[in-house]
Amino acid sequence: MKVISEFAQVFLERFQNVADKITEYISIFFINFEKFDYIYTHVVRIILPVLAATIFLRCIFPLLRNWKQNTALAYLHMPDGTKTPIRHWENSIGRSKLSDIVINLSFVSRTHAVITYRNGGWLISDLGSKGGVKVNNQVVEKSMPVNDGDTISIAGYDMILDLSGFSQNFDESNLSDEAKMPLYKKKILRTGLTFMLILLFQCLGGIQILASAGDELNKAVPLTLIMFIVVEYTCFVVFKSLGKRFMELELLTLFLCGLNLLILSSASPDSLYKQLGAIVAGIIAYFVLTLILSNLDLARKVKYLLVAGALGLLVLNLVLGETRFGAKNWINLGFITIQPMEFVKIAFVIAGTATLDKLLTTRNITYFIGFSGACIGVLVLIRDFGTAVVFFGAFLVIAFMRSGDWRTIALITAGAALGAITVISFIPYVASRFKAWGHVWEYADTSGFQQTRTMIYAASGGLFGVGGGNGYLKYIAAADTDLVFGVISEEWGILIAVMVFLIIVFYGIYAVFLTKGCRSSFYAIAACGAASMFLIQTALNVFGSVDILPLTGVTLPFVSNGGSSMMASWSLLAFIKSADHRIRPEKVDAHKRKGVRG
Amino acid sequence: MKLLLSRAIAVLVLSILLVTGLVVFGINYVNKASTWAQYPVNAHLYRDGLLKVSGKIYDRKGNILFQIQDGKKKFSTNKSVRTSLMHATGDLYGNVSTGAQVAFRGRLSGWNIINGAYRFNLKNNTQGHDLKLTLDSDLCVTAYNALNGRKGTVGVYNYKTGEIICMVSSPSFDPENPPDVSKDSEKYSGVYLNRLLSAVYTPGSVFKLITAEAAIDNIANITDAVYHCEGEIEINGVMVTCPSKHGDVTLEKALAHSCNVAFGQIALELGGKTLQKYAEKAGFNKELKIDGIDIAKGTAEISDAEGGDLAWAGIGQYTLTANPLKMMAYAGAIANGGIGVQPRLIYKDDNSLIPNLSLNKRVLNEDTAQTLGKMMRNAVITSYGEDNYKGLNLCAKSGTAEVGEDKRPHSWFVGYMEREDYPLAFVVVVENGGSGSKVAGQVASTVIKKAVSN
Ligand SMILES: [Zn+2]
Repeated sequence: MKVISEFAQVFLERFQNVADKITEYISIFFINFEKFDYIYTHVVRIILPVLAATIFLRCIFPLLRNWKQNTALAYLHMPDGTKTPIRHWENSIGRSKLSDIVINLSFVSRTHAVITYRNGGWLISDLGSKGGVKVNNQVVEKSMPVNDGDTISIAGYDMILDLSGFSQNFDESNLSDEAKMPLYKKKILRTGLTFMLILLFQCLGGIQILASAGDELNKAVPLTLIMFIVVEYTCFVVFKSLGKRFMELELLTLFLCGLNLLILSSASPDSLYKQLGAIVAGIIAYFVLTLILSNLDLARKVKYLLVAGALGLLVLNLVLGETRFGAKNWINLGFITIQPMEFVKIAFVIAGTATLDKLLTTRNITYFIGFSGACIGVLVLIRDFGTAVVFFGAFLVIAFMRSGDWRTIALITAGAALGAITVISFIPYVASRFKAWGHVWEYADTSGFQQTRTMIYAASGGLFGVGGGNGYLKYIAAADTDLVFGVISEEWGILIAVMVFLIIVFYGIYAVFLTKGCRSSFYAIAACGAASMFLIQTALNVFGSVDILPLTGVTLPFVSNGGSSMMASWSLLAFIKSADHRIRPEKVDAHKRKGVRG
Repeated sequence: MKLLLSRAIAVLVLSILLVTGLVVFGINYVNKASTWAQYPVNAHLYRDGLLKVSGKIYDRKGNILFQIQDGKKKFSTNKSVRTSLMHATGDLYGNVSTGAQVAFRGRLSGWNIINGAYRFNLKNNTQGHDLKLTLDSDLCVTAYNALNGRKGTVGVYNYKTGEIICMVSSPSFDPENPPDVSKDSEKYSGVYLNRLLSAVYTPGSVFKLITAEAAIDNIANITDAVYHCEGEIEINGVMVTCPSKHGDVTLEKALAHSCNVAFGQIALELGGKTLQKYAEKAGFNKELKIDGIDIAKGTAEISDAEGGDLAWAGIGQYTLTANPLKMMAYAGAIANGGIGVQPRLIYKDDNSLIPNLSLNKRVLNEDTAQTLGKMMRNAVITSYGEDNYKGLNLCAKSGTAEVGEDKRPHSWFVGYMEREDYPLAFVVVVENGGSGSKVAGQVASTVIKKAVSN
């Protein structure tokens, strides 16, 4: 009892104290009332993280909800009278539990055959099985087209292909009713409102920058922000009227780009126009790539074109490369300077893709290994070690998805680690970067300068930041690229910085989520490859700046200053987007909805 | 696509690694953000390595001890106050690591983990967070003057609330006019050290309190036992000596007259392990922070001591070293029925709504504390002279710690007042002062009388 009364007494005393503080606080507030910018920052710094969290949640839920993504494209009638749906453009048939159509009979091979949809028709391919494949009693040598009512015999196990009731033109507009129906039942978060919240965030953030800048305002700031909002709005309208897919992925990315412009408004307003141009170019590249990728046959042809282009860029980089910040990763085209390796990323991801029949028949990925070796080799030569790690990480993910052979992957990793150690110990420039790693405070004013400053100023921002434009980290070299996580933490608060991080982690989870419903393994591999690039870049950028990993100077996708990186990131995003084949639920008028419920 | 999904786990693993990294960063941030932000290049808080704006430091009565005015550090207007509290506030250049300017700079700068360095009206607002110390500057001046230039320390705290009301360390100087301390290295030796918090001394006879505590707990009928003192005793070839022959002494009498022969024998009866346990219970070898400031640990390594070594350990010599604040806190625990209240320097922690009561912990058994308290009272009456401490209801133990052949012993006086209106415990150490009860006792008398006259 005594403890409780003592506790209560102390509590009351402290409560009194807090009440006093609040009164004092309110009075200070009113004394300074004439100063608009102070009041503004004070309120907005709390609103922005709440807005960011709302936007994040409103975007990820529609994307991760299973909108009946795997509707049947055809059926197989089994001997026991059941119907097995065919859900993808590529379906493996076999005894293995990982087959899309499992036939658990001992004379069926683990991966026996693949049934694929190509050029408007279905095709069955034997994967070199022992039992063989027959269509209408005709032995399939390699592959053979199949039609409605045909009997497919898997080592004597007979199935009848049923295409009736399915339009064989898998255009989004005429999916069967089964695919559309369940959508009405689910609650829909309105995309338009999410978009408005994003615009609100950017406007509030923009006004904060204007307020903090006062008379020293660079005119590029308001102009760029207004133009950006026009661009966003155009995107939104075009998407809404042309596309039938979810838009939340683009919205999240536009949110990141908006943040990118807000950071630049504070840190380097002179590069705003250039960056806005890069965003627009990126969005256009994104549209074009998504369009190409929606046609699998076209995409498979473009793949070789892109790889050829990438090889050209590698050579160009080696010959014309200019050195900035220790790495020779820039080339000057006269009117513009670019980082060619950023664009090679696009080709790299697509180079690793394969359709399921190829993936299951040819385990050989020599060409891809060769191409990866060339890319990483060039990166080591031009001393861009961070990007080399990004490529290598993506290589591991893609190679694993192609082969499923983790032993070989482990071997390659070990070899690479050995190589990396050799490189680190022989090149003094790299060794010096590693020297500070893990104890940057001992080198606070030399090789740990950037990391310590990032931590100092990230800690100065607290949860809500000191207000956009009020930071000091922006005066440190490369703050808006390598240390951008610190700039966000300082000016906009650690909550928003963490939100940015989580959005990129979400790209990864989203790519994995999509894999299950992919029509072709081509899309699955491309999406996972692109996502792993985003993830590794983010890890190196963020953790590098706060001394959890060595500082390597790679960009944070969509957030760091840099035109090449921005365009490449948007292009990589197209790979993730293309793996999502789901149709956005449309607005349904009331009586129809009622009818469905009834 | 099941096959591809099973392989896409690689990307999921990557995502999990990223989230793990973020958690690691989060933990780092929570633990270290304060240190990061206080790095003196942080342009939000520092200019030219000095705090741009700082809260004022007040004493418990609201007198300003330190402030920054127009970018300049200002201390109290009274030179004696400045000098006496130099270790509490810190000097101009941050040399005193336990001084409030350094130790509480996070608080003074206005930084906190929620709002970072942000302050409303950032450009014009010059207010940091003010800081009120529990110290009474008048009492500190009295204590500093009582030391009269001798090296040493005085500490007084309220054993019921934990508030330290007096903390002085000598030598000191006027922080507004710092002397060139390198010129007179003898006079200014250890001048930046707050001796109450950071120094350790051989405890000498004040350690007998701990030996007595262990004896009361562990030796049956100890209050009736009689030890015989012939002025000296030989233990395994090592002589333990007393200033005079005490004859037959009980524990109470042995404590009052500080009989080494009796306590040497008691230590042998207890054994090294038991004595070690009680020393650690009293705070030796233990980490202690008050308001985040590290207190010197003090050392007790007597588990394996035997014979003469053990006997000398029992009377506070051997390899023992004690921190003054910890001895004061131990006396406070005796006064408070065995419950130790953690001493503190910040007047009231008004940062959190939830009071922290867990800092109180039992140091001694209640009965043992009472018995020991009576013996300390008896020591004042029969040995130190009640006339010197009239009306104070003082319970104390003196110590005269031998520090080497050619040096005068350190003089200790530790104790408390058994008064409801002034529940104060204290410690005085005068380096090379000589007799504990005479020299340190005199200082204590002056300070305590001043404390109750307020
Ligand atoms: Zn004796």
